Order: sequence, then structure tokens, then C-alpha cells
Amino acid sequence: MKTTGRLYHAHSNTFIYCELSLSDECVVFSNDEGLHERLPKPRLVLGMAIKGQAQDITLPDGRRFLCDDKTFRLNQHSTSSFIERSEQHKGLVIGAIFFCPLLLYWLFFIAIPHVAASSAGHLPQSVIETIGQQSMTLIEKAALEPTQLDEQKVANAERIWLELINQLQLNEQKYRLGFYQSEFFGANAFALPHGQIVVTDDLILKLADYDDAFRAVLLHEIGHVEHRHSVKIAAQTAGTTVALAIVFGDLQGIVDLALGVGTAIMQQQFSQGMERQADDYALSNLLKLGYKPEHFATALEIISQGTDDDSQSWSKYLSTHPHVKSRIEKARTYKHP
Amino acid sequence: MDLQSVNHIENAAPKAQRHTVQFSGDAASYFSLWAVNILFTILTLGIYSAWATVRNKQYFYGHTSIDGHRFDYLATPIQILKGRILAAMCFTFYIVSSSYFPLIAALFLFIWMFAVPWVINQGLRFNLRMTRYRNVQFSFAGNYKDAFINFIVLPFLSIFTLYLAMPWVLKRIDTYIHNNIFYGDKKLTVQLTTSEYFRIAFACLFTVVGVAIVIGVFTVVLGSIDDLAQQPQLLGGIIVLFNFLMITVVAGMYQAMIRNHIFNNAQFEQVARFESNLATVDYVVLVFTNALAIVCSLGLALPWAKVRKAKMLAAATSVCVYPSAEHVINVQLESQSSFAEEAANVFDIDISLT
Repeated sequence: MKTTGRLYHAHSNTFIYCELSLSDECVVFSNDEGLHERLPKPRLVLGMAIKGQAQDITLPDGRRFLCDDKTFRLNQHSTSSFIERSEQHKGLVIGAIFFCPLLLYWLFFIAIPHVAASSAGHLPQSVIETIGQQSMTLIEKAALEPTQLDEQKVANAERIWLELINQLQLNEQKYRLGFYQSEFFGANAFALPHGQIVVTDDLILKLADYDDAFRAVLLHEIGHVEHRHSVKIAAQTAGTTVALAIVFGDLQGIVDLALGVGTAIMQQQFSQGMERQADDYALSNLLKLGYKPEHFATALEIISQGTDDDSQSWSKYLSTHPHVKSRIEKARTYKHP
Repeated sequence: MDLQSVNHIENAAPKAQRHTVQFSGDAASYFSLWAVNILFTILTLGIYSAWATVRNKQYFYGHTSIDGHRFDYLATPIQILKGRILAAMCFTFYIVSSSYFPLIAALFLFIWMFAVPWVINQGLRFNLRMTRYRNVQFSFAGNYKDAFINFIVLPFLSIFTLYLAMPWVLKRIDTYIHNNIFYGDKKLTVQLTTSEYFRIAFACLFTVVGVAIVIGVFTVVLGSIDDLAQQPQLLGGIIVLFNFLMITVVAGMYQAMIRNHIFNNAQFEQVARFESNLATVDYVVLVFTNALAIVCSLGLALPWAKVRKAKMLAAATSVCVYPSAEHVINVQLESQSSFAEEAANVFDIDISLT
């Protein structure tokens, strides 16, 4: 087999035209001007085989041969040629279009959440303590101010809290309740992974006459801590972001937009599941400790009532706690499982 | 330098020869390469992405040619993989710390600021070294100090001018990048003008204002339709889409004009000079329709869009090659034989996820 091409000089811009003849073991470069060189195939370094491009051959001394024939492949059985054939394989292409979305769905909605949840479950308590304290420092600086409640209200809330902790036989060192004034959070309660639970002044005022409802809200927050929800959500976010960056590192611009939306939806779903879990924790414990699950419904109702007159602060609570109606309904009809 | 071979090859005319850049790729063959590479990447949980990157790049490099000689992308998948792993580790560390340990993440960002110039230099150095035309590689000679001034200090200082000095900073950045590029032993020289950067920046600014007014009017008209007014989410979606498209348009406009300016003022002394006559409107329409096609096809149109863009860019670019171009010698391969260079190769990677 003979073919023509260009032989570039080593380390240089210059080249000569020459002919390549192939035998089983060797290749021979020759031209009319006296070039005649025989080289054994194993001493040649082959370039990539890509559709529409000739495979280039690098000689041991740095010279390079590029064939004029765009379909030229020195070795049809090399790995590179195999990859090239796969890339042009119709079945694989159709398979890729079909399977890629499925695999991505599996990876991001099943595999990563699963791994995130189980890895979060194995984090030692000391690490969770550090995580919680660092987050608390930041949130305190950014959005919390000292409470402006009178002592009586604080004392009452603390009484309910301690009673609850004792009834649940939880560690008093781990679980702490903090009172803060916050415009940013409005009427809200949230839990940090190490057991710090924060309630805002607005929430206490709103539930001032409903001790049972307040207790239900606290139970809901304790549920988040017991299930390690914030650690799980962080692990999920980290895993998803890194996986997205690795898988889609090649695509730019527009994909970022799609990914941003995707991550948001995934997190939304993840956190909805967590709310349900924390609700279940609250409802089952209310029943177990001899209170009524309806108290949780009352709490939700009082909180969601605010939506009309004070939508600014309330909407924040509701955006992370969707489907209030169905949750109220569930609390009303809750029976011991 | 082998002068004889010069005469030997071509009876070089004393005048420069003008060649339009050719791009020979096509959407169909690239689509199948792209799709199969993504499949392999997902199946190997991202590891194959290093191989995919090399093959995707070589597809575009190898299909781009000047005067019948193609470009080559020389990086090996292992080099890419090493860089990816390092980048992924840094990124994971940042993501994990920012979601778990915000204080450590803040410290990390501060340290990262000092690493950025090095990472940028490293990326440019790597990618240029891995680019070959004929049998000669490109290279990059920028240093840390200049990169730190141009990429960190000046953009930061321009905040205090209310970004009015930003076009000048962008000119500095482009000058830094391009004036440090070598083809073999020949240095690229660019002469960029500050006034041109300001002209382009203002053209973009006026376009933004103009488009914003159009969108504003459009939104008011849409807002008056009852159906839409009752669905604020839909209206919000339309506005987000418009913003996205506007960014696409303005970015395309800026890229086209800056590209022309840089190319038309760049030359490798005695080797080649460049011309770019990319029509701004054509390019903006292309970028816009590409973005639309990709969004509407859920990403499937990406290969078509990339090929289409490469074709337009190639057709708008020509290179005038001087006869003495044959004198260029590759300095990369010679220095590579030294032991010090081998040791430095441990870090001969592009630290990026893209």
C-alpha cells in the first residue's frame, strides 16, 4: 500500500513531500529526491484517530508525517481506531441520546442523595459541633440581634423547652434554645446541626397564647436535628455541584443556567422531603408524650395567617415550608402509625 | 537554521501570501463524537471526561487549517486528568467548606485570590504549549507579577473609578495575554489602543440601554394582557429569558469587535500577520440563534452550534504568511529534554474543570 503526504522536519516549520509505503512490519518513506528510509512500525508514535482527519505519525527523531488522505489510519486495530468507530456508531449515538438523561437522572436524584444521606449519618459529633458553631457565628453576625422580649415571655418559652427536652430524654448539653430579634427571618424558627435551635421574637409573640403550638414547632425543629437534615442537605449540595462540574465541565455558558435551575429544583424536593420527616417526628412525639397532633396544625395555621397582612416576612417561612394546607390536613388526621 | 531546506521546499515569493483559515468539520460527525463521549463520561462517573476533552479539542484543532496545514492538540488525557483531579479537589474543598465551615471557606477564598494569577498563567502556558501548527508549538511567557497586577490589582482598583476605567483594564489584560504568546521562537506582538476599547465598551453600553428600553416596553404591553398578569411566574420567566438573551447579544457584540481589533493589530514579526473581518451583526445573530437552538433542543443542538461558530470564525480570519516563516524553529522540544523541565512537568497541567 502506498500513499502520499508531508514529512515535517523535526522542531521546524519546514517540510518535504514524500511517499509512504507500508508492509507488515515496516514503513518506508521515500521521494524523488533521494529520500529512502525504512522504519519498523513499533518505533512510530501514532496520533489520534478522529473522523475526517488523517492519523499523524511521529518518527523517533521528532519528524512528523501527515498523510494527504484524510481517512488514513496506520493501524486499524489500535485503541484509538476503536474509539473512533464507537464515536461514529449509530446505535451508540442513539443510545447516548436516550441513556444520558436517564443516567443523569439516576446520578443526581438517586445516587448522590443516597450517598449524601449515608455519609452525613457517619459524621462524628465533634465535626457536626464545629459545623454548627461556625454557621451560627456567621448567621448571628449577618441576621440576628439580641432579643427584645420581656423576661416573662422568655422564661415561659424556656420552661416549655426544658420540659420537652426532659420528656424526650435528650441531652441538655447538646440541645440549646436561643432567642433573637431578626428582621431578616421574620417569624421563624430554625435548627443548626449541632443542636442549636433559634426562635425569633416575632414567632414567640405570634404564639404567645398557644404554648402547645409553640411546643409543636420546637418538636419540628428537634426533628430536623435528630435526622441531621442540614448536614445532609449540605452534603447533597456539595455532591451535586461537584458532580455537575465534573460531568459538564466541558460545556459552557448556557448549561450553567440550566444547571442552576436544576440544582434549585433538586434542593427544593430534597427539603420538602425533610420537612415531611420533621413533621412526622413532631406529630409522633406529640402523640407519644400525650399531647395532640392538632397543636401542630394550630401552629401552622397561626403562622400562615400572617401571609395576608405581613407577606414580606411570612413568605420566607412559607417558601421553605410549602404545601401548608396539606400539612395542616395531615396534622389534623394524624393517627399513630 | 536550515536555510537550504527553505529554498528546497518552495520557491518562496518575496511577498506575503494571504490564506483564509479553513474549518472542515461538520455538525453530523461532531454530533456523534460529542454524544458518545458524553455517554462514556457519565458511565465512568467523569473519569473519561479527560479523554473526551482531548478528542473534542482535537476535532476542532485538526479540522482547522491554514495554507493546507492543520493544527494539533497535543495534551494527553492523563495530563488533563491530573489537572482535573487537582481542580476537583480544590473545588470540592471549597464547596464542602462553604456549606459546612463558612469561616474556613472565607479564608480559602482569600488565599485563592493569590493563586488565581498563577492558575491563569498555568492554563495559558499549558494550552499554548499543547497547540501545534506544522511541527512547531506555541508557548506563553507571562510571569506571576504581571498577571497579579492585570487580573487582580487593576480590576479591583477600577471599582473606585466606578468601573469607568474597566475598558482600559481589559485592554491591559488582552495586551498581557497576547504579547506573551510565542510561536516557536517568534514572539507575537499586538498594538492595542485604549480608545478602541472605550469605543467598543460604549457601543455595548448603548446597546444594553436600548435593548432594556425595548424589553421595558414589551413587558408593559405583556403586563396589560390579563392572562399573563395573573401568572406572575410566567412573566418573571419571560423577563429572565430576555435578560439571558440580552447578555448573549452584548457578549457576542463585544467579542466580535474586540476580536477584530486584536487580530488586525497582531503579528509574529517576519512570520505572519492576521486579519479578522468578523461582521458584528452576523456574529451576534449567530450567537443568539445558537443560544436559542441549544435551549430549545435541551442541549442537543450544542455540537451544531459549535461547528457553526467555528465555521464563521474561520471564514472571517485570514493569515498573511511571510516567506521567512520557514525560519521558525520549535524551542519547546529542545528545552523539554532537560531534567529540570521533566521535573516541572509534574505541574504541567491545566488546572481547570473545563
